[in-house]
Amino acid sequence: MNAIECDGLTRHFGNIRAVEKLTLQVPAGSIFALLGSNGAGKTTLLKLILNLLRPSSGQARVLGGDSAKLRADNFQRIGYVAEDVIHPDWMNLSSFLGYHRSLYRSWDSKLESQLRDKFNLPEGIAIKRFSRGMRMKAILLSTLCFRPELLVLDEPFSGLDPQVRDDLIEGILELTAADSPCTVVISSHDIAEIERLADWVGILAHGRIVLAEALTELQFRFRRIEVVGPDVRQQMPDPAPAGWIRAEATTPTLIQFIHTQFNTNTEAELRSMFVNARIQSSQLSLRDIFLATSKSSTSTDGLLT
Amino acid sequence: MLPFRIDFHSGEPVYEQVIYAAKKAILSGVLSPGERFPSVRSLSQELKINPNTAHKVVAALTAEGLLAVHPGVGTVVAPSVPGSAEDRAQVLVQDTERLVVEASRLGLTEEQLLNAVRKHWRKLNPSP
Repeated sequence: MNAIECDGLTRHFGNIRAVEKLTLQVPAGSIFALLGSNGAGKTTLLKLILNLLRPSSGQARVLGGDSAKLRADNFQRIGYVAEDVIHPDWMNLSSFLGYHRSLYRSWDSKLESQLRDKFNLPEGIAIKRFSRGMRMKAILLSTLCFRPELLVLDEPFSGLDPQVRDDLIEGILELTAADSPCTVVISSHDIAEIERLADWVGILAHGRIVLAEALTELQFRFRRIEVVGPDVRQQMPDPAPAGWIRAEATTPTLIQFIHTQFNTNTEAELRSMFVNARIQSSQLSLRDIFLATSKSSTSTDGLLT
Repeated sequence: MLPFRIDFHSGEPVYEQVIYAAKKAILSGVLSPGERFPSVRSLSQELKINPNTAHKVVAALTAEGLLAVHPGVGTVVAPSVPGSAEDRAQVLVQDTERLVVEASRLGLTEEQLLNAVRKHWRKLNPSP
């Protein structure tokens, strides 16, 4: 079961191709991290999914229905957290939460008081006077409490101090630990935090999906390989085999590269390719995988900032 | 509070890091047989990790016989943890491998490495 399915999803702004023929599945119950450089199309994609933008062509299906047909009633099940979506911001926290409580049939008052204790937000002042961190907490609070089936977060952590990030992450995990776990889609630049939180990863570049898969599989197949031995530079295949990126003979006795299709036979294959060499393989952090994939696609058309 | 702590480092899957820390706690006796092991929920909340990852950790440790599920009580450290010397050494396999790799990269001989290890061992365990 997928919570989100995009099929040929496309959105152009004039001649800028912000999202281009994008096909993607987000499994239900996953915490799906959407990574990409600035202008890769993350925010546009999320807005298409939520019917805040219309696709130029193609389709997104969200919780089983066409995203272009999402109505107010559907948003009883879908939460959206982004910096600029706090309304009404002239209210103080209690009135703000009271307002949201009145909108949602599934509002969980117990979760509300639990998260209010945890988030420790000021009660007496208008939300528009909140700091950025406090504002993000207030938005998250108003969203988590109706226990959405799908939670979409656009850059929730950027510019926040570590304590606030931890609070937000605990809040999100509060929702996913429930008996009927919700699907979470997070776009973020904070890859180290996302690596612990996510179990699925999608990488976006120039409006297209570079890869989308389970984090454990991704970290299995991407490996940093070192081949050490006499004269390995001379045995270096030219051109480098498919699936090797940034292959380089650093010294006559050392070849380094990132293998993107590592499997249980790879080490044996490498040993037969390089005579008398020692093969070392190590797993990559999500950050290194992201950097490796983004460096291999450097075209600049279709950028949207 | 969890009975073990993890300084997450990048480069190794989060799952492996949690498994390693939990095994170390069990086999070194920080967690004794019969003692409650943290729930999936508290692992996820305290370590700020994906609940599916936390679930996989508990399932893997249970499958290995280190944890036992007691209906109504929760997950506890197995009454007779297979804590042979070999099992306990197994916990250090990663550290040992890293040490050996670094030593050979530096061009140390086996003897030089063992001497360095012995020196540290004696520092911590002075003979009477």
